Amino acid sequence: MVAAAWICLLLPLAGALLITLLGNVLSRKAAGVLATSSVAGAFVAAAVAFVMMLGDGEHHRSHLSTGFTWLSAGSFQADFSILLDPLSMVMMLVITGVGSLIVLYSIGYMHGDNEERRFFGYMALFVFSMLMLVQGGNLLLLLVGWGLVGLSSYLLIGFWHEKPSAVAAAKKAFIINAIGDATFAIAVIVIIQQTHIVGFDALSALNPDNHGVLNLVALGLLGGAVAKSAQLPLHTWLPDAMEGPTPVSALIHAATMVTAGVYLIARCHTVFESAHQVQNIAAGIGALTIVAAGAIALVQTDIKRVIAYSTMSQIGYMFVGVGVGAYASSMFHLMTHAFFKALLFMGAGIVIHALSGEQDIRQMGGLRKLMPRTYVMMLIASLALIGFPLTSGFFSKDAILAGALASGPYGAALWVLGMIGALLTGVYTSRLFLTVFHGAPGDLVLRQLGPDAHGQGATDGGHGHGEGPRTMLIPVAILTVLALGGGFIQVFDWWTGMQTWLESVVPSLHEPTGWQEAISSIGATLLGLVGVTLGWTVYGSRKDTAPKPSRSLEHKLYFDELYDRIAYAPAAFIARFVTRVVEEPLVIGSGDLVGHVTRGAGEKARLLQNGLVRSYALLIALSFAVMGIVFLAVR
Amino acid sequence: MAGPGIPAYLGVAVFLFVTGAFGVLLRRSPLIVLLSLEIMLNGANLALIAFSRHWGNGDGQIFAISVMAVAAAEVVVGLGLIVAMARKKLNLDVDELSSLKG
Repeated sequence: MVAAAWICLLLPLAGALLITLLGNVLSRKAAGVLATSSVAGAFVAAAVAFVMMLGDGEHHRSHLSTGFTWLSAGSFQADFSILLDPLSMVMMLVITGVGSLIVLYSIGYMHGDNEERRFFGYMALFVFSMLMLVQGGNLLLLLVGWGLVGLSSYLLIGFWHEKPSAVAAAKKAFIINAIGDATFAIAVIVIIQQTHIVGFDALSALNPDNHGVLNLVALGLLGGAVAKSAQLPLHTWLPDAMEGPTPVSALIHAATMVTAGVYLIARCHTVFESAHQVQNIAAGIGALTIVAAGAIALVQTDIKRVIAYSTMSQIGYMFVGVGVGAYASSMFHLMTHAFFKALLFMGAGIVIHALSGEQDIRQMGGLRKLMPRTYVMMLIASLALIGFPLTSGFFSKDAILAGALASGPYGAALWVLGMIGALLTGVYTSRLFLTVFHGAPGDLVLRQLGPDAHGQGATDGGHGHGEGPRTMLIPVAILTVLALGGGFIQVFDWWTGMQTWLESVVPSLHEPTGWQEAISSIGATLLGLVGVTLGWTVYGSRKDTAPKPSRSLEHKLYFDELYDRIAYAPAAFIARFVTRVVEEPLVIGSGDLVGHVTRGAGEKARLLQNGLVRSYALLIALSFAVMGIVFLAVR
Repeated sequence: MAGPGIPAYLGVAVFLFVTGAFGVLLRRSPLIVLLSLEIMLNGANLALIAFSRHWGNGDGQIFAISVMAVAAAEVVVGLGLIVAMARKKLNLDVDELSSLKG
């Protein structure tokens, strides 16, 4: 089992290295196939490990395997080791499973791009980094994986490096994530300083009475989680990250990397439970993000940005879940969200692909007739997002809400916010869906996909209605099935697959009662449907009469402007000040001074040379005379 | 060994050297400057030979011979330069050759 886990970890790395080292030797197609098969191989290995783990006893499922000693300094030692337990198992299956589908999809999506090999190399590198993050056997390796996913996310967001906006977005993502990385690193350093070990057992070795240290560690970890998972107030990078290719958005910014924060809190739950104020903060941040991101999603016009804000909102639910101690429900939602959100992105990708790169939903419309397969699968993904009964999102979101309700009065307040979020989800999802697929087709749509179109859609692949080649449709079909049926892993408290699986690693804090489950399910579903109805009446087929969005929502609640004021503007001011007061007079001035003095001295010394040979001879003679007198006198 | 003592030789040598030095410093014709240089060298040679004789040591005489060889070479170069100047119809005046002036 441990061997399978190592294979799972190292296969994508091998894939990335091969693609990079072989370079032009590989054909473009072969690079894609190699990346896909390495990730798919990792999935097979993970599945094998999973089956073997099922055979273990309930409490003997945690395996720590040490590869070699990585660092050792005196009594301190850090191993290169992997931890295989039910929690990392869930993440491994989601990452490699969804990951291999998305890499397969990108073979079709990226076809014809100039640098396909680089893309697939990065994708495989990302999968390796993410596996490193979830499988890392101690805090340092978790931090290494944390940094590596940040790097590969940066590389992939800025993949189209000739586009200035993509480069800017990549830098933004990297810088904002660096804030989280720093707080996370501080937390790890404090843990090492306190306990002198780096394994996850260090988390429970912290002195439970030392609240200062506990709160500091928990806040540091929370900072890392908030930045990586794009929660308020460090969320601004995620919408911009949509500049990357769509499969990247599906894999990194929907299914896997952005949920790393949830994984981190679940993994370090002992610290958060000891510092429960911080855990409450995490839940509060999640709840605020649900509402804020949902509201912003209402007015965005870029198809991928709408989905990005929806991702933030859904991760907000997961934060509420881990914040109130409903870890299993959070991980459950993480999994179902990976299915339906990856599906939404891939659907959006097919639409963008068919419309030759157009992302503005106001240009779309009426795609239902032209792209029937995409229509069906986007419908299913949207229903799962809303939490329509019996789809995957229904079970997982409601489990989180029930958990929040069960955790006490504070949880009830979060529950209310979550309910508002459910309403908003209904509205923005139906807005997106209706404006893209219903109504009258826009000019652009007719030009690209209409009956007499000879555009990219008609020629590309040559089947369907420009819905892409088979490599794109097969993964989409598989994910559609998962988005529809993935929720049946856990059905209320009648069949608690996820809960039981994770019980030995992250036991949930509260057990929701039957009525709490019921009220959450019914409430969320009803509100979701109300939202859809609202969306239908406002946006259904009459997009011109939609209400003018409020200014603050259009400006995404002024977060970017705020950061501009508090971070960029002062830095620019200080830079200008230092230029004027230090650089110009001191640095540049001193250089000028040296030049002027040397020049002036030269001007004076020049006059000594009069060009008369006789005067030189006289000087020589006088010098000898002086020297002779001196020698005589001194003797 | 008869003849005048060392002070007499040195007196003549100093007289020759100073005469040459003034010639070098005061005259403007390169030809005379060269000539004066030779006189200075001869003054030095005389001093060398006088000391050699005084100490009964041949080193000074050998040294004087090599100075003469150098002087001969110097005259060749110097006269060559002066002929070149004359051919270019330059005024034979060292003060006019002042392109080294800063």
